[in-house]
Amino acid sequence: MRFLLGLIGLIGFGALLELVPATGLIPDRYLPPTSRILATAADEVADARFWNALLDTLITWGLGLGIAVAGGVAVGVLIGSVPLLRAATASTIEFLRPIPSVALIPLAVLLYGSTITSTLILVVYASFWQVLVQVLHGVADVDPVARDTAAVYRLGRWATVRYLIWPTTLPYAVTGFRLAASVALILAITGELIIGSPGLGKEIAVAQESGAVPQMYALVVVTGLIGVAANLLTRTAERRVLAWHPSVRGEVPA
Amino acid sequence: MLAIDGLRKVYDGHGRRVEAIADITLTVEDGEFVCIVGPSGCGKTTLLRCIAGLLRPTSGEVLLDGKRVTGPPPGLAVVFQEYGRSLFPWLRVADNVELPLRAAGVAREKRRRLVAAALEAVGLDDAHGAYPWQLSGGMQQRVAIARAIASDEQRVLLMDEPFAAVDAQTRADLEDLIRRVWALTGFTVLFVTHDIDESVYLGQRVVMLGSPPTQVVEELAVDLPLDRDQLTTRSDPRFAELRGRVYAQIQKAKLEKLEKT
Amino acid sequence: MRIAERVVLALALPVVLVTIWWFASAGSTNFYVPPLATILTAFNDTWLGPLIVTDVLPSLGRLGLGYAAALLVGIALGVAIGRRRTLRALLEPVLEFLRAIPPPVLVPILILFAGIGGGMKVLVIVSGCVWPILLNTVEGVRAIDDVLADTCRSYRIGGRLRLWHLVLRSASPQIMTGARQALSIGIILMVISEMFAASSGFGFTIVQFQRGFQIPEMWSGVILLGITGVVLSLLFRLAERAVLGWYHGLRTMDRRR
Repeated sequence: MRFLLGLIGLIGFGALLELVPATGLIPDRYLPPTSRILATAADEVADARFWNALLDTLITWGLGLGIAVAGGVAVGVLIGSVPLLRAATASTIEFLRPIPSVALIPLAVLLYGSTITSTLILVVYASFWQVLVQVLHGVADVDPVARDTAAVYRLGRWATVRYLIWPTTLPYAVTGFRLAASVALILAITGELIIGSPGLGKEIAVAQESGAVPQMYALVVVTGLIGVAANLLTRTAERRVLAWHPSVRGEVPA
Repeated sequence: MLAIDGLRKVYDGHGRRVEAIADITLTVEDGEFVCIVGPSGCGKTTLLRCIAGLLRPTSGEVLLDGKRVTGPPPGLAVVFQEYGRSLFPWLRVADNVELPLRAAGVAREKRRRLVAAALEAVGLDDAHGAYPWQLSGGMQQRVAIARAIASDEQRVLLMDEPFAAVDAQTRADLEDLIRRVWALTGFTVLFVTHDIDESVYLGQRVVMLGSPPTQVVEELAVDLPLDRDQLTTRSDPRFAELRGRVYAQIQKAKLEKLEKT
Repeated sequence: MRIAERVVLALALPVVLVTIWWFASAGSTNFYVPPLATILTAFNDTWLGPLIVTDVLPSLGRLGLGYAAALLVGIALGVAIGRRRTLRALLEPVLEFLRAIPPPVLVPILILFAGIGGGMKVLVIVSGCVWPILLNTVEGVRAIDDVLADTCRSYRIGGRLRLWHLVLRSASPQIMTGARQALSIGIILMVISEMFAASSGFGFTIVQFQRGFQIPEMWSGVILLGITGVVLSLLFRLAERAVLGWYHGLRTMDRRR
């Protein structure tokens, strides 16, 4: 029932976008009707250039996300397990975290030009904090009784991490992964849009400059669909991991 | 006066038809304290919601002072079992008690007086500025009771297993509290409970419900003295007699249900 | 002693990092990475002057306007949609799709409609900020406690009192989560809309410095942007504490039980 309603909603939305330019409410120069957007999208999909750009975006996204997650987890577990480090780094983290990643754009462009590296810097910077904050909360959430038990049985540093800290932190890490994935995608495309590194974002910028409006819309729709797919995938992954975790933790506001 | 006439409630949904309440006819006089008991699942809460105007009966009617109840009527207040979820956590105790008065358009000075009187009646005159979640379960339920009695227009108090979610000690205190409040305010009280001892201890009359499709099985007048307390009343032989009678009826109703299925 | 200890811990690492930066870049001959001292001088000269009035403040003003508009629209729509189950089911896929579009991508689209002036910039911010607020409001309104709703019905608390006390305050923790996300997005969009195509503004000025190879000025702009993000985040935290004080208290109590 919900599914049916949702489908009707989508179709209704498409119909609306078909009619509005047709009635001239908004000139179709600014807003092409749905049919033309879909037709252009079909053309795009047939073009190899589109697939290259898509691949570039996915690579940037995946690579940046991977580095951010690896770094975030490693640093998070390290800092989280040593109270002194936690206390000493707290202020720095709180200061660096709200810095908008887009502030790095001019620096990145200066140092690395319009290459994928510039965008990667953006992606990694923004996603890293998402993961780090969640992991820190995860490590802090370790049951003190369990921790004492581990100490009494003289579990070494490595064993403590493996059997105590990691299982508690895992759900938080997965939540961090989900949040980071969405941020990473946004920033990958933003980087391509502004900096001009290869990818879908760059294609959109090119389409805008050359006045190819339907193309621009088609690409925007594609990025939206990728975003939806990414959200679905990461949410499913999160649910899978949290399913066999008896204590389901809620998301800590980042 | 509260009159329930031929109340019937049928739930329709998911391809099933469930007749929760077949026929309940009941009258409660002004100022009476009536307890409603029944086996679990007998639709006590459904009945209360119909009386409170929160649920539309399938047929039959509820009359409050001669007027038909179609939605929550003025002059009637409900105390829910889940006190934690019934109080507004962002409002302090005094503001919680005051809110229905604000909705009714009562003037500020009068509101303040009514709130103070109500909180004093439930023994919370030093908790005005606290937040509900800072209080214990028993105290939170007292706030809910204070809110229910704060109006000088309210005449009927409906209580849906209000003390089921607190520990035994607190429950005893709250039972005595509600009898004091009743004596003080002269409200009409309709008290739904699954606790048979509680129903006999508190009520002037106990109405017993059967299993669904529910009907009134028996009504029992509780002829215990007006002044009751946990120690002497509960050891009174008459108490044991009445309690036994109620218990037997409820058991009978449960067995009949088993036979029906 | 405890307070002094905490202050030291809070300042230790930052001081160390800044010092390292200062000395590591002191003798720098790299054109792209000037000494920290030079950057700080540039900071003083550039930003503590007319630029604040001509570019920085207007940008922040647009951010404020866009953010406020997004709050109004997002909360209003969220409340309207939140409690109506069929409406939610109808709109959910459409909203999920629109929300998944990376906000900066809307800049080229909005330029079509609104040119490259102030209107476009505010519109961009609104169109990006509204989604987290809207969706979180819908979530928050949907999850209003049934017992509380029944209480309001039985006490005949309706109209404005109900909207404020039952709906909005009930949903406020969720709404604040959305508002926080919207703030980050808003800052990003404020900068992006000016970097992509504009003729004035905070982001525009920084990009101009970069294109004109005025490196110390550019660095100082980046630092100022970072500081702006931090200050806004702090302001938001203060606002959140004021609005959600009861919620934090409630959660602490629940956790202790």
